[in-house]
Amino acid sequence: MKRLFSGVINGLIEIWGHKLRSLLTICCVMLGVASMVLTTGFMEGFFKGWEVSLQEQGGLEKITGTPSSPSERQAPLAAVSRGFTPRDARALAELVPGLEIISPEIDAVRARLTRAGKSYDGRRGGRVQGVTNAAFEINRYELESGRFFSDLDFNDHASVIVIGGSVKKALFKPGENPLGEFVEMNGQPFRVVGVLKTYERLWGDFNTLYWKNDIAFVPLATMAAKVQRSDRLTGLNFKAPDVTRLRETLDAASNVLAQTHRGIIDFDVRTNEEQLASFASTKASFVIGGSAIAGVSLLVSGIGIMNLMLASINERVREIGIRKAVGATPFNIFSQFVAEAVTLSLIGGLAGVGVAVGLIQALSAMLPPGNGPLLAPSAFVVGFAFSVTAGVLAGVYPAIQAAKLDPIEALRYE
Amino acid sequence: MTAAAPEVLRLDRVGKRYPMGDTVVDALVDASFTLHEGEAVAILGPSGSGKSTLMHLLGFLDSPSSGEILFEGRPVAVITERQRAQIRAEKIGFVFQAFNLLPRLTVRANVALPLSYHGSPPADADARIARALALVDMTHRAHHRPGELSGGQRQRVAIARALVNEPRILLADEPTGNLDTKTAAAILDLFKELNRLGRTIVVVTHSPEIAGHFRRQLHVLDGRVKEGGAR
Ligand SMILES: Nc1ncnc2c1ncn2[C@@H]1O[C@H](COP(=O)(O)OP(=O)(O)O)[C@@H](O)[C@H]1O
Ligand SMILES: [Mg+2]
Repeated sequence: MKRLFSGVINGLIEIWGHKLRSLLTICCVMLGVASMVLTTGFMEGFFKGWEVSLQEQGGLEKITGTPSSPSERQAPLAAVSRGFTPRDARALAELVPGLEIISPEIDAVRARLTRAGKSYDGRRGGRVQGVTNAAFEINRYELESGRFFSDLDFNDHASVIVIGGSVKKALFKPGENPLGEFVEMNGQPFRVVGVLKTYERLWGDFNTLYWKNDIAFVPLATMAAKVQRSDRLTGLNFKAPDVTRLRETLDAASNVLAQTHRGIIDFDVRTNEEQLASFASTKASFVIGGSAIAGVSLLVSGIGIMNLMLASINERVREIGIRKAVGATPFNIFSQFVAEAVTLSLIGGLAGVGVAVGLIQALSAMLPPGNGPLLAPSAFVVGFAFSVTAGVLAGVYPAIQAAKLDPIEALRYE
Repeated sequence: MTAAAPEVLRLDRVGKRYPMGDTVVDALVDASFTLHEGEAVAILGPSGSGKSTLMHLLGFLDSPSSGEILFEGRPVAVITERQRAQIRAEKIGFVFQAFNLLPRLTVRANVALPLSYHGSPPADADARIARALALVDMTHRAHHRPGELSGGQRQRVAIARALVNEPRILLADEPTGNLDTKTAAAILDLFKELNRLGRTIVVVTHSPEIAGHFRRQLHVLDGRVKEGGAR
């Protein structure tokens, strides 16, 4: 320990002795470490954002059921099935173990919301859905004000509506309170009982969560009875009790639905797994790319350090001879030069982490929230490990050269 | 010279041959002599006669091309590089004509150098450094760098460094060659004093005057070592 400390002190003295040259080398390491920490920071930020948006879509436990065309073989019999109906939701609840959240949905076809001359026709895929309160839970919606639906709303087919942020913006003036006001859907009045939070995760100028705002909900029964005049579901989403039971829940649900649809496979159930798979594979390729950048930075700093060390050994042949003459072993000399290289790269590494922290903070101040690079604690560890590794690797060869010097040749050297 | 004193170094037909282009230079030929504890020896000879070559061999800084060197009765050839370094640090002090101090270190750090290798520094390291500096009268310059000192002062620091481990044997290769007569005389007095205190001392010089101060003289001529008149 004391050895190491005195090695570092010695290193500092040498570095001070060659200020300009050392500074250049330190810059090499600094840039290497900074670029690495920044790259990891951007990667962390990007994947954090993606992960959050996966969560916003209901997380990995979510299973989506949608109507589909039956196979050609079954097509002549298709009429036997009644398609998705609220009875499917009840059957799933009864027959699939562990299913707690089941959300039947009816999309309104070409719904148009209007109010006092303003209108919202759901550009960008915005829509009005008939749902139960399970939809809010499964899709993680939170209220900004008001309430979700009550049992009374469902039983009475009440004409009430919960609106998303974009709908509110389109139909109401800023500062106006929508609660209790009426909006019209295709001419029928609906009373606003709830306003959803506005979700925002910007990617540049683009809000990747826009779809959570471009939406309005009415009670499922109301949608069936008053708008669509049919209880055909356009979607049936549910949630596996946990990710490990995803497969088994999916299979059980498929079986139950095949049963209620009288053997006609006119539905499609799928998990978020594909999303997860593409998340994982994208992450893997980013990690490979990141490692390549790290490798190149490592190489560049390593070359810088090695160059400095070799030059300094050439200059210090005499010193090495003197040290050996007064009793230094080859290993003493070796460790001295490795310690110097490590000291050098540690200073560069610390400076690099500092620069990266500064840049990341500046960038997150400039960029809108949710899009900037994240400062992962791992970045510090990586930066530190990086510079020590570069120092050791680049220091070893010159240090061996130094240790091998013959004391007499070294002393003769002028 | 007392025959009863234990043997420190013995050379047995030692030769050193350097390749020199197509031919070879015999810098040392068949050197055979023994150094005993407590001796004071002057090595005399013209420039290029092989004195430095001999000193480097005595100090384990180089190895012979032929013959055998024994340190405390052990053949040096069988001693490992590590052990040799340890003997250099602890049992042999070497003083060079060119001082060979490390310019970036302070006087004190230069003197401390032999203590910093081979295990943790001894508990009395500070005391030893202080003693060595006091012996050469350089205590007041402990925190200066060699560049700020005169030649004589630098050589005194080099001697302090050679003495800090209280070695059995002190080897000095023309230690006064770069100094004026007065300073040289002072250094010489220091060596005599050290020898009186029991240290074995070998000093290279080409001044017969200086050599006259030593009890035993070895003459080197064209690589051959001859015993001179003992006083
Ligand atoms: N490394 C070497 N390579 C070739 N010749 C050398 C080498 N070292 C010393 N010599 C030669 O050996 C002889 C003795 O040199 P040296 O011991 O330095 O003499 P001195 O110290 O008595 O002046 C000289 O002729 C010198 O040129
Ligand atoms: Mg010489």
